[in-house]
Amino acid sequence: MSKQDRLTRQINELAREKTPQRDLWQGVEHAITQGSTKVETNWRPQLAIAASLLLVVLVGYMGYQSGINTQSSIIAEQMSEQYLKQREELLVSFQDKPATTENWQQQLDDLDRAAAAIKSALQEDPKNPALLHMLKQVYEQQLKLIERVHAPSWQKI
Amino acid sequence: MNLVTPMEIQECNEDSLIASARAGDVSAFKTIYELHINRVYGLCLRLCADKSLAEDAAQEVFIQLWNKLDNFDGKSKFSTWLHSVTSNVTISYIRKQRGWWQRMFDIEASDIDERSADLITDLSDLEKMIYRLPERARWVFVLHAIEGYRHEQIAETLDIAVGTSKVQFHRARTMIEEWMGNE
Repeated sequence: MSKQDRLTRQINELAREKTPQRDLWQGVEHAITQGSTKVETNWRPQLAIAASLLLVVLVGYMGYQSGINTQSSIIAEQMSEQYLKQREELLVSFQDKPATTENWQQQLDDLDRAAAAIKSALQEDPKNPALLHMLKQVYEQQLKLIERVHAPSWQKI
Repeated sequence: MNLVTPMEIQECNEDSLIASARAGDVSAFKTIYELHINRVYGLCLRLCADKSLAEDAAQEVFIQLWNKLDNFDGKSKFSTWLHSVTSNVTISYIRKQRGWWQRMFDIEASDIDERSADLITDLSDLEKMIYRLPERARWVFVLHAIEGYRHEQIAETLDIAVGTSKVQFHRARTMIEEWMGNE
């Protein structure tokens, strides 16, 4: 039997149905009876993150206005310190909760490498606001990742 | 005398369930869910290649289905329409869940999928190979070879050119046949 025939046979024999391991109805029912997919959220950490990011952006803006040559690297350092603090706090708050994705650490490491590359580029081009913006986005993405894998919306239902 | 077939009875019953669910009957909708969840989840799992993501996507499908039931016009079988909703919602859900870095540079998640495939038990050899495929090639292969979509439909669902769908299918098929040869 040729490989093509074997593949066609295996496709035809493939079971179309799979049973999910957890009961999905509960989450569906909750969402449709509440009339919204919005879920309960602990706003305190998110408000803290938002306030911190606002502060970082404000500091960044003021630094940009002042025209100091080293402004971007200083802001980047402040941003990194702030981010690491927030990340540590988030990881501590989620330490007893299992992660829903096995490879989240890998994703976090990938983003760490991205942040390091952007910081390195900022040293070469400290006046580039686009790089600063990218760094901020990478940090925000990492915080979101940590939150998402430890508190996915359907577990909160 | 025309005998009513069990299939016709089921379809008739399903029509009344859909009508009740449209009117807001959650228990009728639960019956629809129970009738279709395994088929919907099966498609979600093959598209996501990740158990946890597939479960979340399947929930999203039924939540959106609740709001979209009025869009079902009865011209096709309900199951056919539901599979179309499933593939659209799942692809959209996967894209939303991607990391910023992946979205920014449009990176395919093939290496992630390969690891995920090893973590899902009870897979046939073909399923393991499907989960190892690069993301877009896997989507096209699942929709065309397994679900029977035409390339035009796939192009619309994935927002790609018809030619791209054909190329991705060829790529997927070639990779799987090569892996089969190495077994």
